Amino acid sequence: MMKGRALKVAVSAQCASRRTVLLAAFAIPFGYSVKALSAAPKKQVQLDIASDGDLLAFKPDQLTCPTRAAVHLTFTHTGKYITQDHNWVLTVPGAAEAVAQAAMAAEEHSGWTPRGDKRVLAATPPCGKGQHVSVDFTAPAPGDYPFLCTTPGHGAVMHGILHVTPN
Amino acid sequence: MFRTRSSLVITGLLASLFAAAALAADLQSPDTVKMGLHILAGVYGDMDRKLAAEQYDRLPHENQEFQEGSGALRDAVAHEPAAFKGKVEADLKETLAAAQKVADTSKTHDKTQVSAALAALASSMKTLNALFPEALRAEPGTVDPPWMQHGGKAPPPNK
Repeated sequence: MMKGRALKVAVSAQCASRRTVLLAAFAIPFGYSVKALSAAPKKQVQLDIASDGDLLAFKPDQLTCPTRAAVHLTFTHTGKYITQDHNWVLTVPGAAEAVAQAAMAAEEHSGWTPRGDKRVLAATPPCGKGQHVSVDFTAPAPGDYPFLCTTPGHGAVMHGILHVTPN
Repeated sequence: MFRTRSSLVITGLLASLFAAAALAADLQSPDTVKMGLHILAGVYGDMDRKLAAEQYDRLPHENQEFQEGSGALRDAVAHEPAAFKGKVEADLKETLAAAQKVADTSKTHDKTQVSAALAALASSMKTLNALFPEALRAEPGTVDPPWMQHGGKAPPPNK
């Protein structure tokens, strides 16, 4: 009798451990996928921005998106007379002027964008008169991020702010 | 005799001033004129910044922008009366020649020479602006002060 009970306990203990293993086997990847989902961009956001005709200015000069959004930004060069290219470069806070200086050293063949510069969060290629270009990026942590045109001399006046809001 | 001639001269001057003012006040596309003058003043500001940074090699590019941008003002006055249009085009021609001089002197990399050429350009732009009503003008050095054009809002966080 005692022997039979001991066997039952042993079997149920074995079952319990198998259940635990099974549960763990399901839970581990599920846990990872939850983590992966929470790190993934939550929203798809389309942002449109243009040059203010032939003036050295962005229109609008303020943009807003939620943090971690998958942003598709399109820049349009609406100039009619001046052929000089523009671009749209997003930088970390406090770095716009330094990036403008670095862009000058980067020269025209690099699209006036310093390659591999960690202060640059996103950048479109240069855009000619009447054309449009795009860039995809994940919106950074909430805060105000400067953007500018890095064509030499433009950044001092052709700039704006991307307001990244909490979700 | 002398008083009569003086009176005639003054009357003539006043009449031509009134005629010019009337022409300017009745501009067919004042917004386009304002835009044209702002484009030129914006490029002038860029030239000024390049000179301050001693980026002489970029000044010919700015001159190219100036020459191209002048098309906006030329188009803006295209349908104005011939006398007024002629005056604008004559002054614009002088302004473009002054901008070209900035590009030419930039090759010397001599700050004094380039500064003088830029001052001459500013002077000719003032003459050009004076042809238009005050509300439409964009005097050199008054457009787009660096990092300050956010409609009175705070400048970008990098400043």
